[in-house]
Amino acid sequence: MSAVAGFPQAERQRRPALGRLLGSGAVMVTVIYLLLLLVYSLCQKNALSMTQFSDQLSNGLPLALGAAGGTLVVLMRGFDLSVAGVIALADVLTATQAGDGQLGALLCLAMVVGTGLLVGAVNGFLVAYVGLQSIACTLATMIICSGVALLVLDAPGGNVPDFISDNLTGTLLGVPVPLIIALVVLLGWVILRKTNWGVGLYALGADETAARLAGVPVRRVKFLAFCAAGALYGVAGMMLAAATSNGDPGAGTSYLLLVFAAIAIGGTTFTGGRGGLLGSMIGAATLMLLQKVLFSLGVSSFYTGIGQGLIMIAAVLIAALSARLARRMPR
Amino acid sequence: MTKPIVLPNPRLSAQASQVAGTTASLAPYLRAEGLSKAYGATVALSHVSLDVHAGEVHALLGENGAGKSTLVKILSGIVLADQGRLEVDGRPFEPGSLLGARAAGVSTAFQELSLLPNLSVAVNLMLPNLLKGPLGINSARRNEQAAAALLQDFGVTTVDPASLVADLSLAEKQRVEIVRALSHRPRLLVLDEPTAALADPGWLFDIVERLTGEGVAILYISHRLAEVRRLCRRGTVLRNGRSIATVDLTGTPDAEIFRMMVGTSQDEPKHKPMSNRQSIGPRLSAKGLTGRNVHDVSFEVGDGEILGVAALEGQGQRPMFRMLAGLEPMTAGTVRVDNKEADLRSPAAALRSGIGFLPEERKTEGIFLGLKAASNISLPILGRVLWGPFINHRRENAAVAEASQHVDLAKRYQAMRISSLSGGNQQKALLARVLLAGPRNLVLYDPTRGVDVGTKQVIYAAIRNFVDQGGSALIYSTELAELVHLAHRCLVVYGGRIVGDVAGSLLTEDRLVSFATGHGDIAA
Amino acid sequence: MKEAFMPGHAVADTRTTGRALGSEVITPLVLFALTVLLVIASRWISPSLGGFHQVAAIIVLSSFLMVVAFGQQMVVLIGGLDLSLPSLLTLGGILTFAWSGASGWSLIWILLVVLVVNGAIGALSGAGIAWLRIPPFIMTLAMGIIVYSAALGITAGTPRGHPSAALGSLFSGRILGLPPIIYIMILFVVFGTALQSYTPFGRKLYALGTSPVAAHVAGLHVAWLTVATYAISAAAAGCAGFLLVGYAGGATLVMGQSYLLPSIAAVVVGGTSIVGGRGNYISAVAASLLLTTFSTIISSIQILEGWRTIIYGCLILIAIAALREDVPLWLNRSLQRPSRPPQAPGAARSTQ
Repeated sequence: MSAVAGFPQAERQRRPALGRLLGSGAVMVTVIYLLLLLVYSLCQKNALSMTQFSDQLSNGLPLALGAAGGTLVVLMRGFDLSVAGVIALADVLTATQAGDGQLGALLCLAMVVGTGLLVGAVNGFLVAYVGLQSIACTLATMIICSGVALLVLDAPGGNVPDFISDNLTGTLLGVPVPLIIALVVLLGWVILRKTNWGVGLYALGADETAARLAGVPVRRVKFLAFCAAGALYGVAGMMLAAATSNGDPGAGTSYLLLVFAAIAIGGTTFTGGRGGLLGSMIGAATLMLLQKVLFSLGVSSFYTGIGQGLIMIAAVLIAALSARLARRMPR
Repeated sequence: MTKPIVLPNPRLSAQASQVAGTTASLAPYLRAEGLSKAYGATVALSHVSLDVHAGEVHALLGENGAGKSTLVKILSGIVLADQGRLEVDGRPFEPGSLLGARAAGVSTAFQELSLLPNLSVAVNLMLPNLLKGPLGINSARRNEQAAAALLQDFGVTTVDPASLVADLSLAEKQRVEIVRALSHRPRLLVLDEPTAALADPGWLFDIVERLTGEGVAILYISHRLAEVRRLCRRGTVLRNGRSIATVDLTGTPDAEIFRMMVGTSQDEPKHKPMSNRQSIGPRLSAKGLTGRNVHDVSFEVGDGEILGVAALEGQGQRPMFRMLAGLEPMTAGTVRVDNKEADLRSPAAALRSGIGFLPEERKTEGIFLGLKAASNISLPILGRVLWGPFINHRRENAAVAEASQHVDLAKRYQAMRISSLSGGNQQKALLARVLLAGPRNLVLYDPTRGVDVGTKQVIYAAIRNFVDQGGSALIYSTELAELVHLAHRCLVVYGGRIVGDVAGSLLTEDRLVSFATGHGDIAA
Repeated sequence: MKEAFMPGHAVADTRTTGRALGSEVITPLVLFALTVLLVIASRWISPSLGGFHQVAAIIVLSSFLMVVAFGQQMVVLIGGLDLSLPSLLTLGGILTFAWSGASGWSLIWILLVVLVVNGAIGALSGAGIAWLRIPPFIMTLAMGIIVYSAALGITAGTPRGHPSAALGSLFSGRILGLPPIIYIMILFVVFGTALQSYTPFGRKLYALGTSPVAAHVAGLHVAWLTVATYAISAAAAGCAGFLLVGYAGGATLVMGQSYLLPSIAAVVVGGTSIVGGRGNYISAVAASLLLTTFSTIISSIQILEGWRTIIYGCLILIAIAALREDVPLWLNRSLQRPSRPPQAPGAARSTQ
């Protein structure tokens, strides 16, 4: 139904509902997730129990937040490799600098978010104002961050305060805390997406010149996107420390590629302008679940990788296929 | 010399002369004096002066590379002039940005559409001042309502503001681009090739009439002289970055305008005879061609023949051409080249079958911006200029030089990056590449789009030479005058079918228009 | 009208642009110069650094990166990315180690088989990217995981084989005072540069990288070019693994891991644009040399690993910032003599 009266001929231009569903990456990845969940529940008893779910959430939230931050940059056709560095840095900071109790946790949160913002600001400045390519610049900042992480903690260890590790992986009013955090982030995204900044982000992902001509403050939008991404990575690192009760300066390396895999599976295209945080976060959950499914199917750990790789390809294919189907739908 | 086709609009002309009469004493709304802009050693503008009065539609004429686009960028605030003075409404005009120009009342509808495809029409129209809801974030509903009001105000009823720009046709996109420029209620409106993609320019003419009635000054840039004469009384001709003259268009014949633009007069050759060839059968023929928006199209192009195709926008001519080029699949039908069935499953296959295709959008489908012009041109024949496994640069350059001669592309442009050439020269390079690949059948889609008068003549000559040496050419053009001038015979496509086939003395614009709008042949 | 965005952004373009003295020439020169400077400066740090033997050792060490960077460079040139390099390098190493030495296979045959096997896998990646339209990031990532997993499974965690004296002699032997590998690398670099910049295949890759759509319309076989490029990249990684076995005397499952990010760094520092169509191999070679020199010198300084990592990252950042497109332009302009006041062509002619 057209929102405005008086456009009878124009009805044709709107896509049918099914087409819009198919074209939404978030929907497709949710379908894949649910399928995997089905498979999982068939071969593992108590797969759908609360503890299992809560466990998955705690382990998956760092990846989800990392993917969320990375999505902001991919939407504007960039690459943010610094996710690995900031997560590692935030992880070791939480394990070494965090204080006890509520105040300690709050200060820790401020510290990791601040660190993430700082790194994001540096990235944003270099990419948006100096004009460096994002993959090059964030590669460098990632390396620098991992170096700083090594200085803070040179080997796995440290001590994550109980308050943080207990509460961030526990429940609040019966709802798992990681879920709350994820929902808060999503809520924030839904709001931000409708601000001038959010619209500008999609605009410049599609066509930077046209966005500039339309009056979008391109450089500022880019800068803020990197900052927001950095903040999200910081929280991801803190969550990782809470989940592992440990600090590890090398924790970020495995996240680098997985973050972008989650983004791709979630339907955000690397050509910019399409996708969103919801898809990426579900994509992260899917990847984590995939590992569990393969394990419980009895796949030898040697060959788990093959399964992972194949399913990643399949997931991307399905997402791409459905998007194409959506476009071809008769209007 | 053909007379220019002037479709008189008494109301507009009366208005124009009224305006001209009363504004003789009034200061012009826009005054540019001595504008200069150089990019390194390349001079884009040199001491350009012109003025536009309120309520006047002032034409800006000139080849590409004459400085029109630079002038547009300066007026739009995207680029600052090096020297010169700009005054708008009596006050100095030095916008530092696009929005600054807009704030001063100057708005531009760009030739290269600047809409965002992944956003809705409403968002595109309302950017950067999106309407907010109660929470302080964008309200889709309010934006759509405001956009709908805008569209209705300017007579666009076929576009749903909630639809994505990517889902619109090219003509609809052009309309939205124009409405967007209008939405800022400018006092000076710059229209850069506004009818290039419009099927029905009448809509725009009505808007222009309305705006001039409200006292808006309009700077109108178009290659279509007939349109320009209809709307504008005065025009300024640019050549080589300088303003040659500001003339009263009604008193200046086409030949003189051309002379000002290119420095030479446009020689209208006698009616082109087809070279007398023994009938060796058609060079290119299609039978029952069917596909997306194309229904059972059949035609033949003979040896030495230039066959034109005329159609309003969206009548199926684009998929038809792309099928011949191997870019779109055919669901039925056969195409024969030199009496052999052609394999059109891919552009490479089409080329092998002897079809050389010149695509519609040179910037995105034609040229390789990062490469030199010479590298662009030599791409199809790299395998022939080898030294062992390596490219023999001397032979490559020789081949490029020879191909460039056919399209009058100066030697100094060949070694330059193609991105720094003007649109006309880029098109020449593209045509050179197509010719160099060696096909005997050219399929050209709007080859003179966005190209200056001088380059047009060069392209016409190249095509004529090509067919004279034994080949065929199938050309689609949005300019009927061009088809009448160039083609031996012309097909008309309507609704995906061929509805007309006009040749010889019957080939006139009126007849083509009649077929193209679905009215069949005019009364003889 | 109230402006929702701050005025003053999207500022008018007042730059003037001219033709740049090819950044393709300046970049490698600058990088080489930096490397030389580093080597000279390293003498101050320690007398054992900066000598002839050390320089030779650095070149040898950087050769693996140069080979890997060749593949990555070509893939990035067409706008893609190859994340499967570490796994494919490892595969090449494992195969080499398994067949060489006492099992009596000639080295040439082993190399050929490695190239073919890796090339086939790379071709598969390329096929997925070209025909199934899977984003290169995902395709090569997935392929890398699959190959690694297969290698893990086949070797059961520990690659077995025999070290090859012949392969090792590439590094330990001496011809005119230098290990043979250096001469091989010179040949490789020449071959690589020639392939990219002077053959029709290379030219087509540049075209494809600049505009895939135009390449398709122009009749280039986009899909086959893509497949070939990823095949070559995979083969190059295998070749690097082959060489690495000679250097290290064995193969491990993680031998490739430390080459992924440096390969991207070398390509990017060498000025290749991530969107494709720009850059050349010589610059990537120079960048590989610079990066290896730097990390070698840095690791001989007694500082914490954390500081070393930070400085390495800073170097990459500085190199990227210094070698942007505008810098050669700026250099070009300041090297020129002040030009005459601009005159429009034909200004002397009067208008009619």
